[in-house]
Amino acid sequence: MSLIQTENLTKIYGAGEAAVTALDHVNIAVNEGEFVAVMGPSGCGKSTLLHLIGGLDRPNEGNVRIEGVALAEMDDDALTKLRRQKIGFVFQFFNLIPVLTAVENAALPVTLDGVKPSEAKKRAAEWLTRFGLGDRLAARPDQLSGGQQQRVAVARALVSEPALILADEPTGNLDTRSGDEIASLLRDVTKKYGRTVVMVTHDPRIAAYADRIIFLKDGKVVDETNLERKGAADQIASKMKEIGD
Amino acid sequence: MNFQLTLAWRYLTGRVLRTTLTTFAVIFGVLVIFGMNIVLPTMMEGFKANMMAAGGVVDVTVTHVSGGGFPAEVARKLDGIPGLSAYAVSLERTVNLPPDFVDGDPARPDRVSAVNLVGLDPEAARSLQVYLIDEPGRFLQANDTNAAVISESLADAWGVGLGDTISLPSVSGLTDLTIVGILPPRTLPGNEEVLVPLAQSQAMTGQEGQINTIRIALTSVDESARAEATAAIQSALGSGYQVGALDPGSEMFASLKLGQAAFNMFGVLALFMGGFIIFNTFRTVVAERRRDIGMLRALGATRRTITGAILTEGLVQGVFGSLIGIVLGYLFGAFVVRLSAEPMKSFLNINMGSPVVSPALVVTSLLMGVGVTLLSTLLPARSASRVTPMDALRPSLAEVEYKRRAGASFISGVVMIGIALLGLVSGNMGLIALGGLLFLGGLILAAPMLLRPIAWAFGRLLAWFYARQGIADLAQGNLTRQPGRVTVTASATLIGLAIIVALGGMTTSLTGMMDDILHKTLGSDYLFIPPSVAVWNSDLGASPDFAARLGEVEGVEAVASLRFAAGAINGQAVSVLGLDPQTFPQVAGLDFTEGDEAEAYAALASGRNMIVNGAFLATLGVKVGDTVEVTTPEGPRSYTIVAEAVDLLNAKVVTAYISQANLAADFGRTDDVFIMLNLKPGVALEDVEAQIKAIAADYPQFTVMAGKKYIDDMMQYMNAVWAVMFLLLIFLAIPSLIAMMNTLAINVIERTREIGMVRAVGATRKQVRRLVVAEALLLAAVGTAFGILAGLYLGYVIVAGIGVMFPMTYEFPLAGVLAAIAVGLLFGALAAVIPARQAARLQVVEALRYE
Repeated sequence: MSLIQTENLTKIYGAGEAAVTALDHVNIAVNEGEFVAVMGPSGCGKSTLLHLIGGLDRPNEGNVRIEGVALAEMDDDALTKLRRQKIGFVFQFFNLIPVLTAVENAALPVTLDGVKPSEAKKRAAEWLTRFGLGDRLAARPDQLSGGQQQRVAVARALVSEPALILADEPTGNLDTRSGDEIASLLRDVTKKYGRTVVMVTHDPRIAAYADRIIFLKDGKVVDETNLERKGAADQIASKMKEIGD
Repeated sequence: MNFQLTLAWRYLTGRVLRTTLTTFAVIFGVLVIFGMNIVLPTMMEGFKANMMAAGGVVDVTVTHVSGGGFPAEVARKLDGIPGLSAYAVSLERTVNLPPDFVDGDPARPDRVSAVNLVGLDPEAARSLQVYLIDEPGRFLQANDTNAAVISESLADAWGVGLGDTISLPSVSGLTDLTIVGILPPRTLPGNEEVLVPLAQSQAMTGQEGQINTIRIALTSVDESARAEATAAIQSALGSGYQVGALDPGSEMFASLKLGQAAFNMFGVLALFMGGFIIFNTFRTVVAERRRDIGMLRALGATRRTITGAILTEGLVQGVFGSLIGIVLGYLFGAFVVRLSAEPMKSFLNINMGSPVVSPALVVTSLLMGVGVTLLSTLLPARSASRVTPMDALRPSLAEVEYKRRAGASFISGVVMIGIALLGLVSGNMGLIALGGLLFLGGLILAAPMLLRPIAWAFGRLLAWFYARQGIADLAQGNLTRQPGRVTVTASATLIGLAIIVALGGMTTSLTGMMDDILHKTLGSDYLFIPPSVAVWNSDLGASPDFAARLGEVEGVEAVASLRFAAGAINGQAVSVLGLDPQTFPQVAGLDFTEGDEAEAYAALASGRNMIVNGAFLATLGVKVGDTVEVTTPEGPRSYTIVAEAVDLLNAKVVTAYISQANLAADFGRTDDVFIMLNLKPGVALEDVEAQIKAIAADYPQFTVMAGKKYIDDMMQYMNAVWAVMFLLLIFLAIPSLIAMMNTLAINVIERTREIGMVRAVGATRKQVRRLVVAEALLLAAVGTAFGILAGLYLGYVIVAGIGVMFPMTYEFPLAGVLAAIAVGLLFGALAAVIPARQAARLQVVEALRYE
């Protein structure tokens, strides 16, 4: 069974003449342990797709199933609980709480789940150490570089041991080197730690780290490619040109 | 909870300046409430200690409901009542002593400023209480004359011993008393006692045949038997007597209570304003942290967690603010107690003790402070919980509200203002007070609709000022697109300035009236003033002989006096003042509000008629022309009210003026407590001063003062009080500065992108800075405009409210209005400094990228 399954997923913003269809009957499936990149030109609906899968937003039509459970039937509290336990998020702007330290930020999801703070911090510290931030645990976000902040965010996404990580342009706000670091970190997350990652990006070089790429245009899936590792970036770039980015 | 507390604490300590400033708002409110509620009870305690010096092992105390004297024969009615083991009658009066009377040394602070003169029946007194007289002294005997028993501590203070003589003021001049016995040092609080035989104290106070207290010991210790005996005593004596605790000076308590209520209202207003500021700050906080909150929601924080986190922040601020407020309030209270110790002593002869703090007050202040904070945090916390995870991810565009809420809130606001105005016309004290609150509320509700025209008007002014830079238009547009928020901010300014203007109005009117009445009622050349002005009950007067001797002095044209007796009407204590209808109008005067002056004085001379003051009419609910039944020592007497008038000293006490002849007949009092004297035309003060002072030396209970000097002293004292009040007000206005700063800061944060755009299309930093300053000035102008409006109304309400007892005309507080305008605009400019710099410093590219 697929970890994620979408059924005719449709999202329309606005109403009447101003209505914009962001997603138009999208059906995709993502298997456990897979690293999937979602690509497409601006406004193709890729972020919307990610938000719907993460239960951050609700579709106008269709459904998302995570481990076979339909999100549409959940209320706000149930969705919140699902996010807390099953899904980790990584955002473009890191979104760390400025007044909390690195380890406190990373521990947030489990702290919110009621785990004892000392235990939550221990788990967060483990992840941060794995990501090479063992000596920066007590630093506040403004004392960290962009790449370091994003690593804290990835640790935060993993601390509750979720099955699924959703990353929305995780490298969009980073320089090339830090971007590569984060992308390979996400790849490690699938290969080394067995999680599933869905990442939205418009950077072919970053998408090349994924196992599979889903191309979206005007709210519809237009293509899917399984990548071979060599020359993947060029392959993706030409594909993007093809669909008119 | 733990997590929420950590988060709250970090956020609060992360923005120290803002946290301090907003917490200050809470601190201030709690400070005022706590501080003032310390001061007044402390005054009351001091007052009680003075009045209730008598103690002892007595089960039941009987006094007259008026607090005054009554015939000694009344005690006979107690004979034969079962359950009584003994009783003793006494006549007890506080004798206020002039400064340095006892120690004779102006450099040393007086240890004894008043004594209780206790006249008792030696036999009966000893049956109730053991008097441990040091050998070789003895206790009093019934046939003693000019003999006294005092405590060792009083003897020390006086520097006298057994067999020596002390002299005390009395109605017939100084009276010498020989000390026949000395009691152990006094340990109880309150005045030292001078024990004399009953007849001696009756002579010294001019209350022949009268007593004012009966002390009774009961045989049984069983509760029900005691209650039965107490009931039997009450029914034997009738309703004119109070069986139970001593309760003198109830009129004084009433006026202290009034003061307390006024200051509590001030404190509540301060807290109310604090609430606005907290509300505003948390709105800013939620706007600023939209992304943080959205992210927390995305990570799995429930709505309740978010609400909880914000509420916790409010709670932490509320608790800290209230605690600090209580500590500062205590210091403030202690300071005021110290500061007022001197005037309290010289005007009322009350010794203030150390500040009184009740646990209930601590709890109430804490609850109010924390409660208001939590309440103000509630709405922002709820709106924070409605932030969706999506808010963390998408660019936040500043919202535009433009809605014209002409609907329900505007209409109800107008209706509230209408009702408030009707209340004012009604002349009913309660309705007027309610109207004041309604008016403020109505103004805040109706304000969003009025905002656009006002902002437009001021915008034109600014446009003219900033000549064609388009800034004024933009500022005006920015301000009017969110009328709701702007109104909330402006409301904080509004309340602050309203209070300044209102109190300005009250002060101007009150000072004008004081000045007027002072000159009218105390305009005589010489005044003979007792130690305790207006609480006549504790003053020892002088026999008519004193006034007569003054009248014989060469160059004196006329002498008039006031005499006092305590009376009661329907259980309400009434000050009954006796005046001579012929001489009084020549020397002094009353300020008449109803009834003809000449006719009223004539009516006093012709029968049982009385002139009463406003407090009398308001408290008893009667009007001119009514006949009331006055409880006197001789029984009930009917008096007809012929006019309403007031003199300054008695204005706030329930007072009736009758003729001195009636006072002697019905109350048995002939001693003068206040004497006024006029000189013949052309006679200078210096010519008669020596003679007058020589006569007055026999009556040290009076301070001799030239009328003009007394008025000057009073006005100076009043002005000092007003100065302190205004200082407090300026304090109160500071929190509104914080509120304005917050609103401007939100505006800047929310419009980062817009500002970047304005910069990108060619606005200079200076122009951006001006834009924010222009907004601030507009905001301040709106707040000031409403504030002055509300203040004028409230001031009028206060004057009208006081006018029920204390007739005065409303005077336009020009100084207050000008001060409010200056403060308002100054604050507007000050509040803009930080946000304006923040806006100007934005990097164009970053601002445009800002999401």
